[in-house]
Amino acid sequence: MNWQDPLVKKFVYLIVAMIILCPLGILLVWNYGDAWGEWDPSELAKEVGAQKVSGMLHLADIWSYAPLPDYDIPGWDDPLHASIGYIISAIVGVALCVGAYYILVKIVNPKPM
Amino acid sequence: MHIPDGYLGPITCAFFYLIMIPIWYKSILELKKLDPRKLPLLGVLTAFAFLVMMFNLPVPDGTTAHMVGGTLIAILMDNPWIATIAISIVLVIQAIFFGDGGITCIGANCFNMGVVLPFVGYYVYKFLRKYVGDIIASGIGAYVGIVTAAICAGFEFGLQPFIEPGYCPYPFTVSVPAMAFAHLVTAGPAAAVVTAVVVWYVKKVRPDLFGSEDKQQHVSGVTA
Repeated sequence: MNWQDPLVKKFVYLIVAMIILCPLGILLVWNYGDAWGEWDPSELAKEVGAQKVSGMLHLADIWSYAPLPDYDIPGWDDPLHASIGYIISAIVGVALCVGAYYILVKIVNPKPM
Repeated sequence: MHIPDGYLGPITCAFFYLIMIPIWYKSILELKKLDPRKLPLLGVLTAFAFLVMMFNLPVPDGTTAHMVGGTLIAILMDNPWIATIAISIVLVIQAIFFGDGGITCIGANCFNMGVVLPFVGYYVYKFLRKYVGDIIASGIGAYVGIVTAAICAGFEFGLQPFIEPGYCPYPFTVSVPAMAFAHLVTAGPAAAVVTAVVVWYVKKVRPDLFGSEDKQQHVSGVTA
């Protein structure tokens, strides 16, 4: 793979800029609620009654092993720490996505027809 | 638009995993045929999609929404199946490592954001580019793509009270307008502007990525 392509390089600069600026993605919406349908199940249960979401309460915690839940270091809740956690998550996420992509490409091994 | 664990019942989750298996298979076949010179660009676009989803934007009703980048990838790769792969990689990483989008909902989320969004966006772009040019067409494509995907997610939420009670408690009369609104007023316009600007820039520096249709138009324009 030729990573020296000028257009690819431009996207790399863009990615670096986006990593630095990504805290805007939480700071601009600091006092906003969650995205629609992404609320915490226990809070939703309080609102609509637990029996209306009985299945949800069982299924919601099926995966609790995310190392950076909500793109943050657990406990880093104030805006400054959350911003740092967000940047760390962005770096980790980019590395994981590019790594996963690279492995997939190595397995699939595209060839022009 | 990342549906978390618990909002869709087991039948809905299984249904979307089953639907995605042949789609993922076909996408891998398309990736096998992709021009290897496009692979580094696809790699950085995958990272771009991950990052662009971190930019949550305020919706006037007090919630948030974000763009996805699927239409942009479909346009730059000239193949929406390739966008399915890139967005699916991002969604799996987000679910496993960041708890964004449920493990049980990976099938549904990949269907909405990785299939509906880039396919609708790409074919709207393909249809409109003859009339309004590549750049405007890409913006409109991205807008229509993300709004359609959000409406699909809204339907999946809103069907739950009727088919599998105990999961998402809101019917589609509530969920579809809410999902559509957030993406019509916030994520859609953002996706339109970002996609159009990136397409404008890429077209300027790499016109070859936009296929021969353009050259033919140009030539016929000159001779006419």
